[in-house]
Parts: sequence; C-alpha cells; structure tokens
Amino acid sequence: MEKKIALKANHLVKYFNQPEPFQVLKDLSFEVKSGEFLSLTGKSGSGKSTLLYILSTMDTAYGGELTINGIKLTGKSQDQLAAFRNEHIGFVFQFHYLLPEFTALENIMLPALKLKKKSREEIKEKAYQHLKLLGIEEQALKLSGKLSGGQQQRVAIARALINDPSIIMGDEPTGNLDSKNTQVVFDIFRELSEVYGQTIITVTHDDDFAKNTDRIIEMSDGRLC
Amino acid sequence: MLNTNYKIAGVYLTAKPRQTIVALLGVTFGISMYVFMISFVTGVNEMTNKLAFTSFAHIRIYNDGPKDNTDLISEKSNETALVNLRNAKVIKYTTGIKNPAELIKLLQHQPEVTGVTPQVNVSVFFRNGGNKINGMLSGVEVDAENRLFTIADYMVSGNWNSLKTQPNGIILGVKLAKSLRVGIDDNVNVLTAEGIMKNLKVIGVFKTNMGSIDGTKAYLNINSTRQMLAKNQSYVTDLQIMVNDYKVTAPLVQRLSTVVPYNTESWQTSNQQMYAQSKLYDMVARAVSFTILLVAGFGIYNIMNMTINEKIKEIAILKAMGYSGFDITVIFLTQALVIGVLGGIIGMLIGFCLGYIVELIPFKMGALDHLPMAYHVKDYLMAFLFGLATTFIAGYMPARKAAKIDPVEIIRS
Repeated sequence: MEKKIALKANHLVKYFNQPEPFQVLKDLSFEVKSGEFLSLTGKSGSGKSTLLYILSTMDTAYGGELTINGIKLTGKSQDQLAAFRNEHIGFVFQFHYLLPEFTALENIMLPALKLKKKSREEIKEKAYQHLKLLGIEEQALKLSGKLSGGQQQRVAIARALINDPSIIMGDEPTGNLDSKNTQVVFDIFRELSEVYGQTIITVTHDDDFAKNTDRIIEMSDGRLC
Repeated sequence: MLNTNYKIAGVYLTAKPRQTIVALLGVTFGISMYVFMISFVTGVNEMTNKLAFTSFAHIRIYNDGPKDNTDLISEKSNETALVNLRNAKVIKYTTGIKNPAELIKLLQHQPEVTGVTPQVNVSVFFRNGGNKINGMLSGVEVDAENRLFTIADYMVSGNWNSLKTQPNGIILGVKLAKSLRVGIDDNVNVLTAEGIMKNLKVIGVFKTNMGSIDGTKAYLNINSTRQMLAKNQSYVTDLQIMVNDYKVTAPLVQRLSTVVPYNTESWQTSNQQMYAQSKLYDMVARAVSFTILLVAGFGIYNIMNMTINEKIKEIAILKAMGYSGFDITVIFLTQALVIGVLGGIIGMLIGFCLGYIVELIPFKMGALDHLPMAYHVKDYLMAFLFGLATTFIAGYMPARKAAKIDPVEIIRS
C-alpha cells in the first residue's frame, strides 16, 4: 500500500539579511512519507537547521509553500501555527530546553495541558506511561533542572510525544549525548516510526546515526544533493 | 488552558521568592503611603472644616443693603445734559430679611438642608470701663444655634442653655473676655452704631480656637437683641443653613438665588482661602502618593523585564510547544497582577495601621490633642485601584514583549 504524504515542501526559498544579504535555501522541493525516519545532514552553514525550522512552522519568513498532513501552512497566523504545532508536531532540541523550575512530569504534561483534549488525570497517566517507556519513571517528581543530560533529553522526548504528534522533529537531538544515550534515543525514534507510524525528521551531524535512518537528505549550499 | 497559564505564572512567582518579595514590597510601600497620606490630609481637612463650621454655616442668606449707587451719572445722563451731582447719600433702607418665617419654611423643604437658624447680627463696641473693643454681637435662637453649630461643646465656663433663661446674659469669646478683663458674673457694656447702649451680664465664655472668632464674637438671646435694637419680633439679619454634604452647596445656592431676593452665599465663596487650602492639601498629598506608586510601578516593570530576559529560552520553548502569544501575555501579566493585588491588600492594611498609630501620637495645639486621621472606604478603594492600574501597565509592557519573542531566533542562537 502506498504510504500517505506527511509533509510536502514546494520550492522553499529563504534569505538572510544579516550580516549581509545571503540566500540560504535555494528552491527546495521534496516530500516526506508518513512513518518515515528521515535525517537531514550536511556541513554547518548548509542550511539544514534553517530548513528544519521552516518545516517546524516556527519560521514563517520564507518563500514557497509548506503542507503538512494535507494542510497548507504557508500564510497562516502565528497563533494558528502555534495551535497546529501543539497538536501535530513534537520537538526535541539539542539542549533539551526543559523548564527547570517544573518537575519532569509537569514538563511532559505542558503541551497536553495546552491542547486540552484530555483531562488532567488522563494526561498525568499518559505522561507516566511515557516516562516508563523511556525508563525514567523514578525521576518523575524531580525538578527537571536537577536531572542529568541524558535523563533531560529523554524527558524532552516524552514531552514531544505527549500529544501523539504525527511528526517529530529533532535539532541534533543526540548532539549533546554520549554514545550510550545516543543509542537509547535512536532506538526510541526507530520504535516510534516502526511501531507507531510517526514521521521523524532530525538534523544530525552524527554520520552513524544518519546511516541507520530510513532516508538521508544531504544538503550543501542551500540545495539537496 | 487558563489554569495551566496561571500555574506556570505561580511557579515563576515562587521560584525566585526574593525578586517577588522586592516587587511586592514596592507596591505595598506605595499603597500604604498613599492610604496613609490621604487619611492624614483628609483628617486635617475634616478637622479644620469641623472647627470652621462652629462659627459659620454652609450657606448664609443676608441682606446686603441697598443696590450699589456709586455711579448715578452714566445711566441717567445723555450727551447734551450737564450733570451736577454732589454729596450723594444712601437713603434709609430696610435692614434685615423680610418675612423670615416663610423663608425658613421654604428652606426646610429643600431636600439637602439639614438645619436652618435665624440670627440677628449687629456690630457693636464692647466696653468695660475704659476698655473698648469692636466686635460682633450675635442674637441667636439658643437651641437651634446649638443644633447647627454645637457651640455648647466649646464652652469653657458657664452654660450655653442659660442664654434661654437670662435675657440680660451674654456669652463672650475667650479672647474677648480676656481683653475686656471680665469673667463670669461681671458686667459688660454694649454700644451699637445707632448709639443704643445696654448693660449685660457675662454668663459664659466659649473657645473655638479660631482667633478671629474668640476675640470678637459674643452671643445673646435673639429676643433680647431685637428688644435692644427696638425691632419687631420677627426681625432677622441672617439665615444660617446647614446641608447634608458641605462640599456640595452650589446647586442649592443657585436654586435659592432665583427665589430669594437676598444674598445667598456658600462657605466656599465666603471662605475661598480655606476652600483653596483644603483643595491644595489634597492635591499635594495625591501628587506625593502618586509619585510613590509610580516608582513602585517602575520597580515592577524592571523586575518583570529581568524575569523575561532570564526566561527568554523558556518562553521560546513554550511557543515552540504551541503556546500562543496570548498565553505568554497571560502568564506574565498574571504575575504582575498577583503582585499588584497582594501588594494592594497588604498596603491597605499597613496604611491603616500606620494611620492608627500616628493618630495615637499626642499633638496638643489649638483644639487638637492628637493628630487627625480619616478612614474612608472610598480612599482605600482608590488606592487599591491605582495600585492595580500601575501594576497592570508595568506588567503589560514586558508581557507584550515576551509574547512577541521569535522562538527561532532564541532557540538557534
């Protein structure tokens, strides 16, 4: 059976004006299938992170057109995009970016509390399941600022998963982790795409990591190669 | 959703208690000073007004004499006529108020009038042997006068009510009695401009602490005064009127002046200096307190800006997770408003306590034995609302800034 298209980029163009006018993305067009585990690679400055932030809907200053799950996102307002991200996109960043004054559990619950599709109790239940899945349930009630790097990254992944997003995006999610934790994160992603059918797009510098994904998009000088 | 925003705001507020407390103290200080200053100034104003209204009424109706005839020529002459006018004189005119009983009835039917009393005021010389002092003799209805001016409370010796039973009895201001060198049961001689002279017996001395009153005024029974002046039994020179709110006299004065053919004068007009003074006190107090509040507002603004700069990554991450600009505004505005409300409540309490303590301080001067304070719910509400408005504005600006943060810029840098 032909898999559905999860994400479609059509002639994406992006310019930076600072420090001097510079074209970062040069007419990129590609599609990502639903359930695909994709890695974006390339040298630094090749535009891969820029591309990821456009795909994530956070960066709206671009030319071309972006469609996710059949919904055209180009031209929507910031608040509409925020609501869309909340429901459909999960994020994992290089520097985990948790709210340090909240417990691990609360951090995980925050996107779901915003979405408000479930009751507080259900959300809590679900957050615990994710923590268990990632093997850090005993850290649930600790302040996230007090956790180790690997634990924090797993909390961040749990947070990205809480609303069952169709797409999970990672900006060098393993960039800050040792090889053991990198393997853990990779295994989680692999399971998400194979078992749960979630689409995964990660920017990575790690060639070993990229080699094991379903598809590699390599970029150089703002083009796919 | 809002619940979650409030919860985040709560965590931020409690995570750095020292910052929160500093901001809170700023508002608390502002509000408490505001409440205290206003209480104090209002207390002082009310005290001076209360003292002042022992000697003059809120509104006074009196016969001002005949129309001003100093310029007789311009309206009578034309260019061809030659006018020779010498030594113009005022012809005899009716003094006093005609038909006062009817006027009093009319006044008593006005809704805002709480009391009316007639007076026969005459300017006289008081004499005790060789001692002559110019002053004002007030013929009064004993009970009505006391009801309006509570003059009995200001008696230092003698009894106010004995004016009723002693037609030849006079009550003197304390300074007047001293200048005349008389005391209770001594005699004092009264001489009017018409040359009427009468011997009266001092039956009491009063003290209002208003120098000009205590040094010149004396009270006599209204009927004795009429007798002395050889006037009829309804002769009245002044009607003194008290209203329910002394600040609002203008509408009544305006209404009366169309039907009453005499001068109708409110205390604001006849005592403009006092009126201006109480207004100025009020303005100064409000200006000072407002400045304090403003400073507290800047404090909140600063602290909120600092917090937002510290939390800029977290704001970006919340936005990446799907929190809208509105959510971010709510999160940070809630923090400012919690500080505003808490600071307001604590400030009002401290302001009240401060006022209460200061009121206990002995302050013996004139009629005062402690500092005057007034506690009005209106002033407290005002302070609270001002405080809330200041914190709202001081919180809103940084909160808007936070809402506009571009998450990409923060996360990528």
